[in-house]
Amino acid sequence: MRHLLLKLEPVIWLLFGQGIMIGTMLLTAYLAIVGLAIPLGIVPAEALSYDRALHLGASLIGRVVLFALIALPMWKGAHHVRHLSLDMGGLSRDVIVAPMLYGLALLGNVLALVAVVRL
Amino acid sequence: MARAANPHAMSPSRPGRTRTAPPQMPAQFPTQGRYLTYTLFGSTGILYLLCGFGALRAVWILGEHSPSAWQAFQREYATAPLIALHVVCFAAVIFVGVRFFSLFPKAQPAKIGPAKPPPRAILHAGLYVAWIAVSGGLALIMAGGIF
Repeated sequence: MRHLLLKLEPVIWLLFGQGIMIGTMLLTAYLAIVGLAIPLGIVPAEALSYDRALHLGASLIGRVVLFALIALPMWKGAHHVRHLSLDMGGLSRDVIVAPMLYGLALLGNVLALVAVVRL
Repeated sequence: MARAANPHAMSPSRPGRTRTAPPQMPAQFPTQGRYLTYTLFGSTGILYLLCGFGALRAVWILGEHSPSAWQAFQREYATAPLIALHVVCFAAVIFVGVRFFSLFPKAQPAKIGPAKPPPRAILHAGLYVAWIAVSGGLALIMAGGIF
């Protein structure tokens, strides 16, 4: 398993880097509007009414953006939590923690793909 | 003939006379001094995972093609615990952006092929322009300002 993880390291680093770079840019807007501005009444809820949200999300660009918004932060999260675990608990448990976290991110990515396709 | 590398192949048959201390964690790790920022930066991974799955849930509910389910989701997001969680997540995202975008220009190689990367200040400013443009544009679209 450790050998496989070392082989996959460049791919995981690429996804982690994009998770920080693009994920941060997209999450800033998502959290500001969907997570805070609409719930707090700063922006009217009609701005993301069901019809408008579906219209925006179901377009080709909308699906790509939504997929990136979901998928990339998961890789950033998985890789950072893995390294937090390495720092706190050492290398011995990495053979369990790393596959579990990357598996979770991969599962999330598959579900994200299904979610944007069924829009 | 190629074979797997043995990391101990070059070690001497007898240990050298110079003794090395076993590795130890720094005394300030993980929550004191500069390690606190490092640990916080790593801990944002938990929030990014949560945000990813939270956004997945939102898109999944939208894909159910049920206006009432979408309205229930919006009402749920207006509850105090979720607003508090989103405040923490938003702070974490800003923290990651500021820290990573200041780190990125320093991590560039001196040369990329024959070309030199732009000066650090320009790269740094460019990342902030991209951040403001992408997140600002997306926020305007979602808030109904454009489109």
